[in-house]
Amino acid sequence: MHEPASITSSLAFVIPELSLVASICATLLLGLFLKQNKSAVLVLVAGVAILAAISFIVLNWPHKPEPIFAGTLRTDDFAAFFRLLFLSGGLLTLFISLQKESATEYVILIQAIVLGACLLAMSMHFATALVSLELVSLSGYVLAGFAFNKASSEGSMKYFLMGSVATACLVYGVSLIYGITGTLDFSSQEFVDTLIQSQSGLILIAAFFILAAVLFKITAVPFHLWAPDVYQSAPTPVVAFLSVVPKLAGLVLFIKIVLAFNLFGQATIDWRVVIAGVSILSILVGNLSALAQTNPKRMLAYSSIAQAGFLVAGVATLDLAGIHATMFYAVVFLLMNLLAFMALHFFEKWKPLPTMANFAGLGRVAFIPASALVIALVALTGLPPTAGFTAKLLVFSSLWSTWADSGLTILLVLFITGLLNTVIALYFYLKIPYYLFLKETPSGTASIKISITGNLLLIIMVIAIIWLFLNPGLLMGWINRITFVL
Amino acid sequence: MPYLSLLIFIPVITALVALFIPAQYTRVFPWLTISVNTFQVILFVLMLFHFQADGGLQLVEKHAWISLSLNNWGQLQAEYLVAVDGLSFPLVGLSVVIMLIATISSWHVSKSRKGYFALLLILNGAIIGSFCALDFLLFYVFFEFMLLPMFFLIGIWGGPKREYASIKFFLYTLFGSILILIVMVGLYLSVQSPENSTEVVHTFNVLHMQNLENFIPGSWFDTATSGSWRLWAFALLFVGFAIKLPAVPFHTWLPDAHVEAPTAISVVLAALLLKIGGYGILRFVYPVFPDGAVYFSDWVAGIGVVSIIYGALNALASKDLKRLIAYSSVSHMGFVLLGIASATTEGIAGAVYQMVSHGIISAMLFLIAGVLYDRTHDRTIENYSGLASQMKHYTAFVLIAFFASLGLPGFSGFIGEILIFFGAFQSQSLNNLVPLWMPIVATLGLLLGAAYYLWTIQRMFFGPFAVRANFADLTDLTTREYAMLLPLAIMALLFGILPQILLDYINPFAETFTGMWFSLGINANP
Repeated sequence: MHEPASITSSLAFVIPELSLVASICATLLLGLFLKQNKSAVLVLVAGVAILAAISFIVLNWPHKPEPIFAGTLRTDDFAAFFRLLFLSGGLLTLFISLQKESATEYVILIQAIVLGACLLAMSMHFATALVSLELVSLSGYVLAGFAFNKASSEGSMKYFLMGSVATACLVYGVSLIYGITGTLDFSSQEFVDTLIQSQSGLILIAAFFILAAVLFKITAVPFHLWAPDVYQSAPTPVVAFLSVVPKLAGLVLFIKIVLAFNLFGQATIDWRVVIAGVSILSILVGNLSALAQTNPKRMLAYSSIAQAGFLVAGVATLDLAGIHATMFYAVVFLLMNLLAFMALHFFEKWKPLPTMANFAGLGRVAFIPASALVIALVALTGLPPTAGFTAKLLVFSSLWSTWADSGLTILLVLFITGLLNTVIALYFYLKIPYYLFLKETPSGTASIKISITGNLLLIIMVIAIIWLFLNPGLLMGWINRITFVL
Repeated sequence: MPYLSLLIFIPVITALVALFIPAQYTRVFPWLTISVNTFQVILFVLMLFHFQADGGLQLVEKHAWISLSLNNWGQLQAEYLVAVDGLSFPLVGLSVVIMLIATISSWHVSKSRKGYFALLLILNGAIIGSFCALDFLLFYVFFEFMLLPMFFLIGIWGGPKREYASIKFFLYTLFGSILILIVMVGLYLSVQSPENSTEVVHTFNVLHMQNLENFIPGSWFDTATSGSWRLWAFALLFVGFAIKLPAVPFHTWLPDAHVEAPTAISVVLAALLLKIGGYGILRFVYPVFPDGAVYFSDWVAGIGVVSIIYGALNALASKDLKRLIAYSSVSHMGFVLLGIASATTEGIAGAVYQMVSHGIISAMLFLIAGVLYDRTHDRTIENYSGLASQMKHYTAFVLIAFFASLGLPGFSGFIGEILIFFGAFQSQSLNNLVPLWMPIVATLGLLLGAAYYLWTIQRMFFGPFAVRANFADLTDLTTREYAMLLPLAIMALLFGILPQILLDYINPFAETFTGMWFSLGINANP
């Protein structure tokens, strides 16, 4: 590996992030001085910055692996792929927030999370990983309280307290690792060599602490307990965002750290077993808990815990095919989860929906948002003809192949658990379509006014989900060219 | 002309078009649907001229669909591959006719007609697609695609307990299809396409899956190394389709779904959706895992016999006319399993014949129940007596349907059942797959069938006229009802008197099926 680029020449590689920083500063200043059309202008500024960032990444494809900032960050296709996902997630969230009066802080925090997630995707060093993760987390705590009511503050506080413990765990684990290896650069040869030689039990303890913090972000069981309260009480666009971007950011870090600790298969324990265990637990706990929920957002919180299990399932193979399948799943997850929350948001703007029974008859009042919601839920269940099915098929195919090669029984258990859980998942996902379309409209419902742009966005996302099912080759072909070296 | 694609996609496209027609033009939707149905019938008649009865797979359409590189484990390839043979061609014909009749039967649906007919059209395309697809992934997509429309059709337009019934239907069928999916993933990763020798191409092509040479050496479903995995796969795949069939003990969704579904949907469910279970076993389970079929043959036959007897006993005890018919379906689909298990030419031909015949007869039976329900909103058998004196034409059709269903010679049901018995009785001496006592016990099912039908006729139609609940003016059949029942009655009779019309198509399939089976060199005589 050649000498890392100097600090100044490194700046050229992080233009997307710089553009976000610039836009955050601009938003801050504009927020102070603007009086009229504040939210529209702020969203516009942020949107332009994000679009610029996206175009920079796309235009510079493919990204050669290049260590920057003294080897603490690295640009490569893998990171660029996830940066694109985070930026798109941020853009879509800003778009749905456009319709309400968004405060300056709101726009800034969304951009800050995207910024943190992008940096996290490039991190190759525990210090940068920690800082970027904290940027994501701290902004997330504030956003979670953005409904400014008692429940929302409670959710935010819970999120903050538990998140702080998670961060503490991370720092503690990292300090142990630094003590053992003498380096914080987890991509370095030194790191791998020392860990292979030392075979100390401390490594496992350190790895446990670090992974606990990362799994907390992914909302994987057993570190999921904060999610339902936060999801239920935070404003829906915020939940849509929090359920996608920080979670996928956590996933990126998870993939990197797990591959680092796997030590190219020379680790003392088989990490595939651990990941598969987490995945099975997440799928089971998420789905079984979701069965009993009556609040739609709380149900989607548990569903998102189960989805975390599916996201992690592909990583359990610890090979390239599995990680590619996970990347495909990540794209589809972004689309379907955002779509579900966006459609939910349209109904919530019209009337409060504390229980799913409140959806009764709304399907006939607002056909397009209702159908979009149904399609998102069908995709989350993993049924054709949606990309949710293709994503699950790819993840489970990679699980089967790895199981067939290695004979590791837990992968087969995960394979079967995951697939059979589709039936459980269908039961609770169906509750919303059930009320939307099967139940009669209670008397006195007026028609809902929904903006054309809103409907159009929903339709575009529905088309994307179906198109990715009919023609997964394009996206998968693109993902397949992304090689991943630690 | 791409006949099959037109059959599959014209209804789907029409459904999408229908979404853009404002809902207040309520009269448009049934006409739109029926014109699609008529078009399909015409297309099928044209196909009759192109289809050679002994020509194997025909009207093939093959296009590349999904082709993904999967790095270290080769290439994933799914194709748009549709074709028909002696198994699927009669079932496609049946689908086209039944969907037409279902539309006529739905003519007076009043609640959100736009949604109803759009869903019916989507269901139509998905059913025909399932019968034509020869790519496992494509089949699976059509198979799953039936569930959501069916869920809404039962759940919105059904009877009082419709929500419960529709969710139960969805969950049971999805559970079955997950079992199918589990095997499908393992299967496509074990099979490589012989068309490409340079690299490993994992294919979903069912024809390739049916050839044991295409299994990658050392893969999990390779006969040489697989051990018991192939048997597990057979069992899972079989249960997946048996839920759809449905066979006892996986049948409990059926009575609920049937009782709650609106008449037209009951007709589609009984006449077509159940057939996909039998079709799946004949198309996927048996040809792909013939070793499992040998190993489990007495289980398959046993489940068939239990379904025959248990279904019939339940029918005998049913108080609701629709529930009685639903259980009679369980009983009759048990015969299909018995025929398949025998793996003799007669047994297989009988199973296919029974599927077509049951499609016709069960459609008639559910329409008959619908006629009564439309008038009185009550289906309790004991609330009626002496209907024959008030509704003469109706009674005539009831007698035809009941006698056809209980297997009276001269009706199609008789041919199917007699062929199945030929096959099942031969099996012990021919290939030792079905023990002799099983068909002997199954004959009891015929007796029970006669019992519940004749008893129902006696209770409901003979004796002094009385309607004990929801008394309404019992008018005889309307023209519309005639238009639905008469073609079905003619078909039941026609296929009963001239079975050769249908057997000409089915027999070549049955012969290649059993032939291929034994040419695989599997020792069926342990």
